[in-house]
Amino acid sequence: MNLVLRLAWRNLWRQPRRTWLTTGAMVFSNVLLIFMISLQFGMYRLMIDNSLQAFTGHMQVQAPGYIDDQKIRQTVPNVRQLAAALRQELGSETIAARASTFVLASSEERTYGIAVYGIEPQFEPQVSSIPGLITAGRFLDADDAAEIVIGSVLARNLRVSVGDELTLLGSGKDGSFAAAVVTVAGIFESGVPDIDRSVAELPLGLFQDVFYMEGSGHQVVVNAPRLSEADTLQSEVEALLPPGQDLVVQDWDALQPGLKQAIQADMSSAFFMYGILVILVAFSVLNTQLMSVLERTREFGIVMALGLTPGRLGRLVLLETAMMGLMGVALGALLGGALTWWLGVHGFSYPGMEEMATKFNLPARMYPRVTLTSLLAGPAVVMLFSLLAALYPALRLHRLHPVEAMRAA
Amino acid sequence: MRRLRILSKLAWRNLWRNHRRTAIMLGAISVGVWAMIFMTALTQGMVTEMIRDGISALPGHVQVHHPDYRDDPSITNLIPMTDTEIAATFGPAGFSAWSSRIKVPAVITSERDSRGVTLLGIDPVRERDMIFVDYDEVEGRFLESVDDRGVVIGHKLADTLDTEVGKRIVLMSQDPDNDIADRGFRVVGLFHANVEAFEETYVFAGKKTLQNMLRVGDRVTEVVVLGEDYRNVEDEYAAVLALVDGGVEVRRWTELDTYLGTMLKVMDGFVLVWVIVIFLALSFGLVNTLVMAVFERVREIGLMLALGMKPGDILGQILIESMLLLVIGLGIGNLLAWLTIKPLEGGIDLSIVAEGMEMFGAASVLYPQLRLEDVVLANVVVLILGFLASLSPAWRASRYEPIEAITKVD
Amino acid sequence: MTAVRCVDLCKTYRQGDQDIKALDHLSLEIGEGGFVCLSSPSGGGKTTLLNAIGGLDKPDQGEVYIAGQRIDNLSKGELAELRLRRIGFVFQAYNLIPVLTARENVEFVMQVQGVPAADRGRKALDILAEVGLEGLEDRRPAEMSGGQQQRVAVARAIVSRPALVLADEPTANLDSKTSDGLMELFTELNEHHGTTFVIASHDQRVMGYAKRIVRMLDGRIVDDIQQDAA
Repeated sequence: MNLVLRLAWRNLWRQPRRTWLTTGAMVFSNVLLIFMISLQFGMYRLMIDNSLQAFTGHMQVQAPGYIDDQKIRQTVPNVRQLAAALRQELGSETIAARASTFVLASSEERTYGIAVYGIEPQFEPQVSSIPGLITAGRFLDADDAAEIVIGSVLARNLRVSVGDELTLLGSGKDGSFAAAVVTVAGIFESGVPDIDRSVAELPLGLFQDVFYMEGSGHQVVVNAPRLSEADTLQSEVEALLPPGQDLVVQDWDALQPGLKQAIQADMSSAFFMYGILVILVAFSVLNTQLMSVLERTREFGIVMALGLTPGRLGRLVLLETAMMGLMGVALGALLGGALTWWLGVHGFSYPGMEEMATKFNLPARMYPRVTLTSLLAGPAVVMLFSLLAALYPALRLHRLHPVEAMRAA
Repeated sequence: MRRLRILSKLAWRNLWRNHRRTAIMLGAISVGVWAMIFMTALTQGMVTEMIRDGISALPGHVQVHHPDYRDDPSITNLIPMTDTEIAATFGPAGFSAWSSRIKVPAVITSERDSRGVTLLGIDPVRERDMIFVDYDEVEGRFLESVDDRGVVIGHKLADTLDTEVGKRIVLMSQDPDNDIADRGFRVVGLFHANVEAFEETYVFAGKKTLQNMLRVGDRVTEVVVLGEDYRNVEDEYAAVLALVDGGVEVRRWTELDTYLGTMLKVMDGFVLVWVIVIFLALSFGLVNTLVMAVFERVREIGLMLALGMKPGDILGQILIESMLLLVIGLGIGNLLAWLTIKPLEGGIDLSIVAEGMEMFGAASVLYPQLRLEDVVLANVVVLILGFLASLSPAWRASRYEPIEAITKVD
Repeated sequence: MTAVRCVDLCKTYRQGDQDIKALDHLSLEIGEGGFVCLSSPSGGGKTTLLNAIGGLDKPDQGEVYIAGQRIDNLSKGELAELRLRRIGFVFQAYNLIPVLTARENVEFVMQVQGVPAADRGRKALDILAEVGLEGLEDRRPAEMSGGQQQRVAVARAIVSRPALVLADEPTANLDSKTSDGLMELFTELNEHHGTTFVIASHDQRVMGYAKRIVRMLDGRIVDDIQQDAA
């Protein structure tokens, strides 16, 4: 080992208890940070996936303003053809057309206001998880059959089961009265209460007939292979939109604005907490390194008299801190990684989590996932701030005068 | 007592011997305590708003329904008492506020569009201070009586429906025989709500008017009672239980909205966990400081032992020193928290993440809430845990052999 | 009446891989009002003996009596009480508590003993004047010279009029003039108040003031001389 490294290392162990306590503060924070960050980002991932996969998709082609008002008149003309063109141009199957409106749905016993969607039975399974979540009956298969699939809660509220009839009352695109009688073909259960309570799907052909859509719809849902590729895909989709038509592509953030902001709000409070932890560790390091410098005043005076510059001594102090920091990172990553991994395998829960989790489309048991980022991000910041904290004691050395220092007790 | 005075004096002077170290430690404790209280105040503020908004959406701390209503919120599940009987039962019971309503799902249709909504038939006079709508802020006017013939809807809903005050809309729902019950109304007022979703969801009409439209006579779907303190509604719950017979279901709000109900408990737990985590992060520095302080003073401690101080006195002296450090740190931390929270009590504007806050069920303006019990909790936890953390270095100091301590050379 | 009686004391230290006999079957008796100088070369055992007498250190073997009371089998707390009430100590260095002023250092022991505040203050001022520190009462140790510090230590040791004062190399860090002053103070206390002094020192000047000189070597007494006061 290099002599300077050896010197720094030995200096650390002159006060083993102090070194361990300072390292302990680092390890404590690192373990906590690793666990929290793993949990947090795993959770965000799930929130996004669960919310988008069910229905929304990564992006949608819509008429401008539809996103705010969702008026039946704000249409995408020739929606079916647009979806087909996009599928062909992009060589992707995960694209489907939809139309939607609100209707009053009546069974024999009950009447509820619901959102109905006209979907393409052939392509909808590529963009939404709902077709795969049918618990009774089957998903739609013919484009103009008088059939409907509804959420499980809605089915219960309407007191209908597969084979029963529903009457839909609403208004068409031109504002005229629209009505249809449809048979319940299937019932789905997505686990997202809002969707199970209020969503119903019809074949797009039927929808267009009943609501006088004249070939138009309201959205073309486009899914990227991965969320991270959504941005690139979006510009491609934008380039392919038919010229002269007033259409926009809305990304998932615009479609589910609550989602990203909920994550941001949660992240800012989490980062506040992480920040405080890191600051407290920095205080601990500042305290330790300042003490260790003050204790060694006389010693430093001697080596300075021998010709060592304050800069080199300062680097020694920083090196000592870096060594402590590395021990903190190593032990923290080891313990934090092991703990988080164990919890990731076995899962964990705390009282009340189930109620909280369903609100955000999350499972009741949490399985934090350790990634390289979650493992190293927190400890790296702790390390950085520890070094920053050690700067003050290191720079103080410049004020040291060798003769006076040697005389110090 | 006498010893305590000597020990305190020594502890106090020793504390300021290494003023840099003490200052750093005080800085750490202050920041930690500030963070404990500040974060707790924000959290409590958020929870309070969420619950207040949540309760104002439900509204009612204790609610009475037909046993099947919660699973199937339909007009068929009416409370098996007439509204007149309900008034005779609840009226004299001395609740701070109570009301009966009709609450059913409905579809609202303008000439342009239609939406699914929750239709509320209320007594506007009785509900003035119970619901989330501020009558005076309503564009147009709010309902005036139980047989008001107008409806009041949210601004947001009016936008999507392309309607406005003075225009007509149609409300459709079902009657108990599942025949379509519909009726045209004139929009008489538009309300604002803290939570945008309320503006899209709730439509208010007169209770009598709805009873006629839905053909339910003198019947309602729910009775709600407000208590003094939403955190504790047990008195009201018991009182309501005593008033009604078995034909209805009585529920506290915590059972009606399990998300909010759990939130209250989870947040209380969170506050404690947060305080402890911060303390633990602090404790390393605290123990470190004490260990160093003891280590530097080995000789003096030996001298005091040689002069006839008892080991217990040394223990006490170190503990007092640690407590002094903590108390000063707590004082500064509490003051900082107070200074930072007070100016924010008018509200922190979070509108850039408004929809996200809405997803949590919170409004976009956050009012930090400095609650005495949270401050006390933070201080007590720090003092108790701080005392425990100081025991080990203090104990070691008291175990020195005077002779070794005095003759120690470094 | 004997002030101090040691019977057959043994104490062995390990230093490196060597056993050092600091006390080797040593017996000694010191009468009340004695003024004894324990003298030995470094490592000769005088400090060990002084510490054993003061109850700071336990011998491996043998018995120690102070004013007829056996002390080598007392508990830590009882020893603390004994030192507090009956023995005054002056050490070679690090005699004072750094955060307390001269006066507070002197008061410290009285305060622990429970002497009322008013009484304490007056006594402290008197004794500091007696050791020649008038005007320096409110200085902290760091603000005083070595001799002044040592005099504060003496003042503290004698303020509650203990029957026995133990001093370990009290003059080691002092110049000759200050040393003389200190020894004259000891002599005066010995003569006027009958205080017994046991001083470990190899300083010739100290030996000159002592009534009895006990010379030690390798943990044994090799010479025990009574001499007239100078």
